[in-house]
Amino acid sequence: MTPANGAGADRGDGRGDGRGAGRGTGRIGGAAAGPELDGRAGPPGEPPRVPLLEVRGLCRAFGGVRAVDDVSFTLDRGRLLALIGPNGAGKTTCFNIINGQLAPDRGSIRFGGRELVGLAPHRIWRLGVGRTFQITATYPSMTVCENVQMALLSHHRRLLSLRGRASAQYRDEALALLERVGMAEQEDRPCSVLAYGDLKRVELAVALANAPSLLLMDEPTAGMSPGERIELMQLTAGIVAERNIAVLFTEHDMDVVFRHADHILVLDRGRLIADGAPEAVRANPRVRAVYLGSEDVALA
Amino acid sequence: MGGDLGFYLVQALTGLSSASALFLVASGLSIIFGVTRVVNFAHGSFYMLGAYIAYTLIGHLGGALGFWVAVLLAGVAVGIIGVVVELLILRRVYQAPELFQLVATFGVILVIQDLALLVWGAEDLFGPAAPGLEGTVNLLGTRLPEYDLALIALSLFVLGALWLLFQRTRWGTLVRAATEDREMVGALGVNQAWLFTGAFFLGSMLAGLGGAAQLPKGGADLLMDFNILAAVFVVVVVGGMGSIAGAFLAAVLISELGAFGILLIPQSTLVLMFAVMAVVLIFRPWGLLGRPEAPGQHGQAGPPEPPLRPPPPRLRAAGLLLLAALLALPAFADDFTLVLAVEIAIMALFAASLHFAMGPGGMVSFGHAAFFGGGAYAAALLVKYAGSPMEVALLFAPAMAGVLALVFGWFCVRLTGVYLAMLTLAFAQVGWSIVFQWGEVTGGDDGILGIWPSEWASDRLAFYYLSVLASAGGILALQYVLHSPFGYAMRACRDSVVRSASIGIDVQRQQWLAFAFSGALAGLAGGLFVFSKGSVFPDEMSIPRSFDALIMVLLGGVKTLLGPIAGAVTFTWLQDEISRLEYWRLILGALIIAIVVAFPQGVAGFLRARAGPWFGIREMEA
Amino acid sequence: MGLSLSVRGLHSFYGRAHILADVSLEAAAGEVVALLGRNGAGKSTTLKSIIGIVRPAQGAVELDGARISGEPPHRICRRGLGYVPEERRVFASLTVNGNLEVGRQPPRPGLTPWTPARLFELFPNLAGMGDRTAGQMSGGEQQMLTIARTLMGNPALVLLDEPSEGLAPVIVEQMVRAIRALKKEGLAIVLSEQNVNFAMKVADRAYIIEKGRIRHQCTIDELMADEAMRRTYLTV
Repeated sequence: MTPANGAGADRGDGRGDGRGAGRGTGRIGGAAAGPELDGRAGPPGEPPRVPLLEVRGLCRAFGGVRAVDDVSFTLDRGRLLALIGPNGAGKTTCFNIINGQLAPDRGSIRFGGRELVGLAPHRIWRLGVGRTFQITATYPSMTVCENVQMALLSHHRRLLSLRGRASAQYRDEALALLERVGMAEQEDRPCSVLAYGDLKRVELAVALANAPSLLLMDEPTAGMSPGERIELMQLTAGIVAERNIAVLFTEHDMDVVFRHADHILVLDRGRLIADGAPEAVRANPRVRAVYLGSEDVALA
Repeated sequence: MGGDLGFYLVQALTGLSSASALFLVASGLSIIFGVTRVVNFAHGSFYMLGAYIAYTLIGHLGGALGFWVAVLLAGVAVGIIGVVVELLILRRVYQAPELFQLVATFGVILVIQDLALLVWGAEDLFGPAAPGLEGTVNLLGTRLPEYDLALIALSLFVLGALWLLFQRTRWGTLVRAATEDREMVGALGVNQAWLFTGAFFLGSMLAGLGGAAQLPKGGADLLMDFNILAAVFVVVVVGGMGSIAGAFLAAVLISELGAFGILLIPQSTLVLMFAVMAVVLIFRPWGLLGRPEAPGQHGQAGPPEPPLRPPPPRLRAAGLLLLAALLALPAFADDFTLVLAVEIAIMALFAASLHFAMGPGGMVSFGHAAFFGGGAYAAALLVKYAGSPMEVALLFAPAMAGVLALVFGWFCVRLTGVYLAMLTLAFAQVGWSIVFQWGEVTGGDDGILGIWPSEWASDRLAFYYLSVLASAGGILALQYVLHSPFGYAMRACRDSVVRSASIGIDVQRQQWLAFAFSGALAGLAGGLFVFSKGSVFPDEMSIPRSFDALIMVLLGGVKTLLGPIAGAVTFTWLQDEISRLEYWRLILGALIIAIVVAFPQGVAGFLRARAGPWFGIREMEA
Repeated sequence: MGLSLSVRGLHSFYGRAHILADVSLEAAAGEVVALLGRNGAGKSTTLKSIIGIVRPAQGAVELDGARISGEPPHRICRRGLGYVPEERRVFASLTVNGNLEVGRQPPRPGLTPWTPARLFELFPNLAGMGDRTAGQMSGGEQQMLTIARTLMGNPALVLLDEPSEGLAPVIVEQMVRAIRALKKEGLAIVLSEQNVNFAMKVADRAYIIEKGRIRHQCTIDELMADEAMRRTYLTV
């Protein structure tokens, strides 16, 4: 049932040396290398091992249609978990429940041992769940840098502050994050004029602003060229490794899924029909019937 | 016992019959909005015209048949007037920035008011009884006018006819499709222009029919237009925008509450209406049968706003120059000019406060006079009952307006877009009714008189400096907050709710506080206004006052920070010049319509495009 | 019979942003032409400029030699040009039959008129769903409905904006079959795609667009043969 729990634990523990270090406020803007961000799970080796994210029996119906039907899975630090399935299978609904935009009818979501069901999105974010959107959601009337600064202002709880110009605050931290995603050169452009692939990078920088330990990415590479897709996923994988965070993503590009996911969940009409390593999922006849189809698209 | 039952039955039926006008007008408004996305402020005027035209036609036709033919013809005539308005005015401004069409419909209101005055005179007209339905029927011992039953039958008939029209005809299907995605309907080969015109005909006709049919009960008068508007907005918001059945349900609900509420506590109707609205909106923010408004719907996206930058040096210099000129003005100007300048300064602050909420805040308020008037009354009441000096009253005004905005805003920020806007108007109307009806405290229609500035400021010159500096300070405070983290977070909530929530912003709280701040500064403008006039009247809280601010902001252009100031100067000056004339509404209305058609991007938008580059205002990069 | 489309020197703006610069393309009757490029390259704007939703600032669009640019979308549609938008813009509150009714236009001489029954043959997934509310259908079903809705207008030439975007691979396969069937009916099709594999399965010719300019045109066979070209224009 759980996606290779052991492997996840190994990876997480392997990087445990960095834990607890750098929990101060400067941790975000620092040089991008090094596993300086962490801390919400317990110290390494603590018995009973709690996964970072544990979803149990999630259900949600819309007007009689079961959009998400008894979905359970777990996710550990340092892992990339892909959630795939036909359109309308319930992937985005799942995401919206995890980050608090939708309330589930039933089920529980434990994050670092804490129940998320019932919390508003802004509270869930403060616990360390970042999110990027299928249709990019940035602030078109702000510059690239201001978009990231906004997330930093929120992180530092300055949303009600009347002091000073917002555009001058946390600028260096924002630029460092933009540097990490390769967008520093465009920091002064309005988000409304960016190319699509660049917007996705800005979203990633925004999502990283509060040093999340879990990143939800809804179709991170939709609308990108094959080259951009690979680049973005490599960037993501790099961030996952260096910060020891977990990523849950949905995706339609099977290339991306099979190349980058450590583990794959397949949803169909709200139900989990497969759950396993990429090779096993690819060979699963049921998945081929409802989703992948007859041709070996993944190799195309 | 039977008498009691009969009494309640009759009361219920009376409620149903008074729901008929509300339902007809509200469903018309809903249809027009659904297809064209125009909130037709002139809808109350169409209702009023229906009553007047029916009055004249009944006089000519006579007889039972003649009565109903006249009612029907009045509806058709108003429908045609609606089509004329659509073809001549609105069709030219559909491409204009969002909400700019409101300015045009406000111009139509003014024109119709004076035309009605010209044609039918200032006297209230008593409606003729419907021939054959003059009597009453006996229901379990209580008598009910026969005409009430006719009105109930009429609204049920219209409800059924509209249902058939929308569910069973091609035109109805097209209208429902256009309500969702107009652009797509056009790309599928449907001529949108005729769909819009058709919707305007149907919607206006329903309003006219509503006005005509209530003639025997309520007659015709020149205040009908604004009197029904707030109730209609409540019905549309409670019922759900775009839902005919919802409009019916809400109209019945509100009217029944009125019918029974009056038994419990006289004059409780307003409170009840308020309570119902609050309850419905807490549990169903999009009304009983409505659906959420899709953010950024297809086919109505304008060019995005450029990022906020500090004002370029030349613009800053120009601002300082303007302020210096204002300070030097008394050396050159006569008293009349100074009085006008004070009014312009106050209105500029009022407009800027509204702009803050509706531009960068993304919360359109149709009822901002609630806070302007709220501040004005807070100051006046404090002076009258506590004998407080001007200085304290001028602090009390924004504080109380801010508190009022906190109360109203708590409900409003749960909604978005046009729902939020209509709710603000409904709240403002509640406020207006309270000051209007609570005569013992507020003086009612007679207002509160004798509220004069302190000794040191009673001199014309001193008060001029006080109000100009206070207004400029208020406007600068709004600017300062806009650039602060708080202002940025507010703008973030407007730009993208989902993104904001997912980076930890409590969107409703942010908007709520921003709304309150905007209300507080409107209250400061109101406080200054009282001392400039020496009095306050319910007019300061009325719908026309709210619309004044809206016109200033929209005339100036929502997307420019200078817009509200430019709008306030233009509009206040125009109004001052014209209001001395007879039929000034007609002229002002026609002028507004002309401006809308000539400068569809707003006066400041026009100036910005022409003079902006010289001041170093950066346009969007290509 | 099908129609031929000719686009010459099209320039389009969105606000002040210059989206299309000198775009020219041709589609002969009965031909399937793919417009390939990345998101934001100008594919959608090209199609929107052809159907008239975006008003081109400069350039000409001609249908069988008659100039149509500058006319409103509904006129262009009635001349036989069908437009299928991206992102499945179905009328969510209408039923499937209601959606089809909105698209209905008079039959066109020389083409077998489309009826709901014929469309359900083309898209078997939609059969028996006539009374379903469009908003409650899956993404794939909605995508099929948008195409069926446009076909109800009996177009001779169809503009398809990203028909495979966001669809499950099985649904994409059905889309391939449907497009091939339409080609057999004699319709001309111009489709925008970023999925090269999909385009290669259905198109005869391809135009590659980048930053609002047509960079290259070739037959699909040439594109299949030339991996270097695919790399240059379709990947970074």
